[in-house]
Amino acid sequence: MIMRGLWERRTPALVVLVIAIVPVASAVVGPLYADASRTTIVRTVLSRAPVEAKGWRYTVKGDRDIRRELAAFTAGARFLTEPVFGMEVDSPIVHSDVIVPLMWQEGQCEHVRIVRGRCPSAAREIMVSEDAGYRVGARVALTSVVASSPGDTGYKPVPLRVVGLYRPVSAADPFWFGRSLFAAEAQGTDKRAEPFFTARETRDAVVITGVLYAGDQAPGWADYGIVYVDPARMTGSDVQRLAAMQATAVDMGQQSGVAVFSWIDGPLRDIGRQTGTLAVPTYLVIGQLVGLGWLLLFQTVGDLVRARSPETALARLRGYGRLRVWLFMLTEPLVLLAAAYPLGVLAGRAAGEAIVAALLPGVPVGLTPGAALAGAAALAGGLPAAVVAAWRTARRPVTEEWRRTPRRARQSWVVDAVVLAVAGLGLLELLGTGVITDASAQRTGALAVPALIALALALLARRLLPPLVRLLFGLTRRRGGLGPFLALRQVARGPVAAGSVIVLGTAFGLATFAVCAWTATIGNYAETARFHLGAPGAIEVGPVSPRRLAEAVRAADPAGGAAAPVVRVPGTVSMIATDPARLARVGHWRPDRAGGVRLADATSRLSGPDLPRVPLSGDRIRLRISHEPVPEGWQVRLFAVVRVPGRVGPAQLAVARLAGTGGAHAWPLPPECAKEPCELRSIRTEVHAPQSPDEDPFAIPTIHPTVKAVEVRSGGRWRPVDAALTDRRRWEGDGHAGPDGLSMPVGPLVAGGMRLVLTPAKIPAIQLGPVGDREMPGLDRLHAARTAAVARTTAAPGLSDTGVIVDLEQADRVSFGVAEEARFEVWTAAGKAAAVADALRAQGLTVVSIRHVADLEARFAGEGPGLALLLLLASAIAAAALALGRTVLALYTAARRRRHELAALEASGARRGALRAALLLEQVVTVCAGLLTGLAAGLLAARAALERIPQFAEPPASPPLPFEVAPAAVALLAGVTALVSLLATAVVSEVLLRGVRVEELRA
Amino acid sequence: MNAVRCEGVVQIYKAQDVEVVALRDVDLVVDEGETVALLGPSGAGKTTLLWLLAGLLRPSAGRVRVAGADLAALDQRGLDRLRATQLGVLLQNPSRNLLPYLDAGQNVAFAQRGARRDRRRARELLDRVGLAARTVAGRMSGGEQQRLAMAVALANRPRLLLADEPTSQLDAANAQAVIELIRQAAREEGTTAVVVTHDVAVSEALGRTVTIRDGRVGAEGLRGEEFVVVGREGTVQIPPEYHHLLPPGSRARIEPLEDGVAVRRAEP
Repeated sequence: MIMRGLWERRTPALVVLVIAIVPVASAVVGPLYADASRTTIVRTVLSRAPVEAKGWRYTVKGDRDIRRELAAFTAGARFLTEPVFGMEVDSPIVHSDVIVPLMWQEGQCEHVRIVRGRCPSAAREIMVSEDAGYRVGARVALTSVVASSPGDTGYKPVPLRVVGLYRPVSAADPFWFGRSLFAAEAQGTDKRAEPFFTARETRDAVVITGVLYAGDQAPGWADYGIVYVDPARMTGSDVQRLAAMQATAVDMGQQSGVAVFSWIDGPLRDIGRQTGTLAVPTYLVIGQLVGLGWLLLFQTVGDLVRARSPETALARLRGYGRLRVWLFMLTEPLVLLAAAYPLGVLAGRAAGEAIVAALLPGVPVGLTPGAALAGAAALAGGLPAAVVAAWRTARRPVTEEWRRTPRRARQSWVVDAVVLAVAGLGLLELLGTGVITDASAQRTGALAVPALIALALALLARRLLPPLVRLLFGLTRRRGGLGPFLALRQVARGPVAAGSVIVLGTAFGLATFAVCAWTATIGNYAETARFHLGAPGAIEVGPVSPRRLAEAVRAADPAGGAAAPVVRVPGTVSMIATDPARLARVGHWRPDRAGGVRLADATSRLSGPDLPRVPLSGDRIRLRISHEPVPEGWQVRLFAVVRVPGRVGPAQLAVARLAGTGGAHAWPLPPECAKEPCELRSIRTEVHAPQSPDEDPFAIPTIHPTVKAVEVRSGGRWRPVDAALTDRRRWEGDGHAGPDGLSMPVGPLVAGGMRLVLTPAKIPAIQLGPVGDREMPGLDRLHAARTAAVARTTAAPGLSDTGVIVDLEQADRVSFGVAEEARFEVWTAAGKAAAVADALRAQGLTVVSIRHVADLEARFAGEGPGLALLLLLASAIAAAALALGRTVLALYTAARRRRHELAALEASGARRGALRAALLLEQVVTVCAGLLTGLAAGLLAARAALERIPQFAEPPASPPLPFEVAPAAVALLAGVTALVSLLATAVVSEVLLRGVRVEELRA
Repeated sequence: MNAVRCEGVVQIYKAQDVEVVALRDVDLVVDEGETVALLGPSGAGKTTLLWLLAGLLRPSAGRVRVAGADLAALDQRGLDRLRATQLGVLLQNPSRNLLPYLDAGQNVAFAQRGARRDRRRARELLDRVGLAARTVAGRMSGGEQQRLAMAVALANRPRLLLADEPTSQLDAANAQAVIELIRQAAREEGTTAVVVTHDVAVSEALGRTVTIRDGRVGAEGLRGEEFVVVGREGTVQIPPEYHHLLPPGSRARIEPLEDGVAVRRAEP
């Protein structure tokens, strides 16, 4: 009987089924999408992390069993790679203070290149670096690695036989867990040699002796195991486990004999921050969509229950008990809802897979308990709908079912008032907490605004539509014909139009807002990406000297229109150093952000005078100095401050210790100066002048050493250096440059120094943000120079916060080398990145990466807020389409119930055209009312909340976000919806009209 | 025992903020096994009285007893039970009585669910109305649907059959078949029948007629003779066929007679 009934009401039943499936599917998609997004975030963060932040190096000493402990540590974590085990002991080489690690690590020989000999395979065999200076067959003894020989009573260092020479392949090889084992990467001391690799069997053939350090139980091998997280196997749900493992690792590290090393805390923090920006917006979006689904379900399930009201009345007439009547009424909707659940879950999973495959390729999608629960929660909205509708039907007098003109039930304001109050309170709360009023920050709560506004406006529109339509009655009575009159009368009656306006207004309002939000957001992403990247393309290259970078770019792009060299240096005032003329051709710029100044005009003012540098090429520097006699007891030293290629920071060369009245003083130049010119940057003095307490400090004499000439020795010959010592414009400081040379005062109260003028006192710069008098970091991050603004802007290429853009040449003139933090890039014009990258490779530069604006846009879109907004867009449009379908169907069902009335009208002489016009107009008025309400609600919500919704995981300080809604997209949405609505209403009207027959009156 | 007893029944309903008196001081007694045709013009209150007897409406005033039960004293459960076991209701328009997607047997079974499922009774009824159990109701002709509706109304061997215009949309042959079914139920099962009808053939076939005018019981017919009914306050409705002699609004004199009164027009 149930199935027959469902078949009898197959159209509304099918609609209920579809409408029930959609919220379930939406609710299921939400967690799946959120999980996939979380997985994407986790994988991206871990993939970008350095090797030592992707796992743990678990080390034990003494009798502890590394394999067992590591197995316990990694138990149940399926996202880890197979552990790599190893053992190691550090020991000085006999008769040397060089400490060498003697180690074995599983698979070690596959991660070095064996240039001679073979891999050690037996006890006491070792393989050493080719740079260590040993030959194959040589024997090496280590102080702490000993053995007892036959006949000996004690232990002696055991000779280890060199069986192979290796060459490191890459320290970046994850196999080594980011350890600086090899000389090229070793920092600081040169007392630690590259490791000796041995065979595992050596452990049993030797004894380790040595000094016991705190915590050591006994001298001996350190056993270790390395485990990595495999990002490709990680999912969002594994993060908790990962964090728990790290917490365990930290605890284990407190134990005696255990050391666990990892930098995984950093990625974990990053993951937490990014997923935090994803979770709330996503669930808020899902919540709104499920709410909308409930609204749809509420209306549609109600329609289905009402469609059965004649049968329910018959059941009551036949004396069915209350429980049986309720069962009779609810069975069909409940069967449909029960069928909708598995179908919805399956549809949600399929949709989730499709969405994730399209937006987050490569991320697995699996049905989780959370998703299944969300689906069930979404479906729960149908239950109260069924119960309320059934309750109304059960309470309605049976006889009302058979009256020709049912008595009109007064529509209660209570539900509307409650919903309006809730919506109003929600909006007030958002106002009160500054979510709506404070445009300075992104607030997740702002995502609730569109639903609240749409619902409130839809409820108001539902109440206003009937009286407004009634106002037009008079007009249609006097003229306009029967069609408009009938249409307006039907709309004014209310119930169907009211429900449709609510559903359509809310859904279309949300869709309008979603389109506004998405178009504004991708506009913001594009603008931010263009400015943050600086140019249409950005090629990151390996570290080189600024000069080398500029030369390579010049060679790669001789015309100068396709590429610009850039060095980025971070800091509280970050710095972009570039070639101004080239930047003007490729950099992104908006004059309206810079007070109307064009980029070419701004960059033309960045270059300073081309003052010659003072190169020092050779192995020694000599200064010819004259001065007054040095007072007794004084120690006066004169330093040449030199920039050395490849070094960060100034080299202070103590060239002269003054004595007598002058002479020539020489000092070795740093070895680098022999290969590439160093630069003289300044000359300064230091003085130690003992002073007795009763001595008048102002009576103490000051001497004035004068540097008369600078010379360097190269190839055994001294040659003069043009240091412009007599040019007063070229030197500044405590002394002066004059015809006699460079003179500076020296005394107990003053130790003069002079700096070679290579740039203006303040470097010309395009300034972004409150730079003021703060120093720019400079290429060396020594913060030695201030800048003078040639242009101020609120958005500058390559800068995301307070910073400056300066001429690379000027920046180079004030810096001592380039800091490690500096990044070297070449910005390119649109479509030129690949060609420029090839040309740069040809110049010998290492191309690390090539990024385009689209890449950065995609990265923003792939962050939590972007993913949530994308979900909002897709789901809201789907919900709007569904609401439209439901509305047309409700109108169809309502009109179908009035077929008798329409047939009577036709029998009494009403023309078919008038009936057609009545049906069409009725539906158009209702649909348009819903659409216009939704459009108004969406635009209002966009105005109220658009600038507050979360768009970035880390909102950028610059550029100012335009929040430009694309009117074309909104118009397209409205246009397509209106067109589809009109088509649907026309078809429905025609179908209904064909079903109206005068013969029906005889039935 | 009376199958139906109405005492001073008043029914008022509200339409467009106006109170409409549908029935006023209706007194009616129907004995067990009696067949009564309720006659009267449209809007006189016949259907309202039928719905009151079925317990679908509660009277605004007065008392209705059906099968010995005071409907006002019954709760919803009692009313449901009464309708399931004692009453058979046939609504105007046969399709309203049926679930169109069920076949004849299932429709009868649907009516039995409120009381007790009796397959033999269902088969017997369908035989009586000449319908096959497997025919789907929605595909039947109007006459077949009405016969099936009658079978549905009789499904639980009701003590009281309430039928509203059972022959209004039927041809003569089908109407006669329906009438025969009512008479057969009364004859063979002792079912009391109260039938609202405009059909003379029906009223002639039933044992008694009760005419309702303006919400009052105006006349009764018994064995071919028409009587006016003296109302609770002594009111008597002059039948329309005598209005030319004593038009409504005219003054009259009452003259006492040995066995009653004579009413004469006071003015020419």
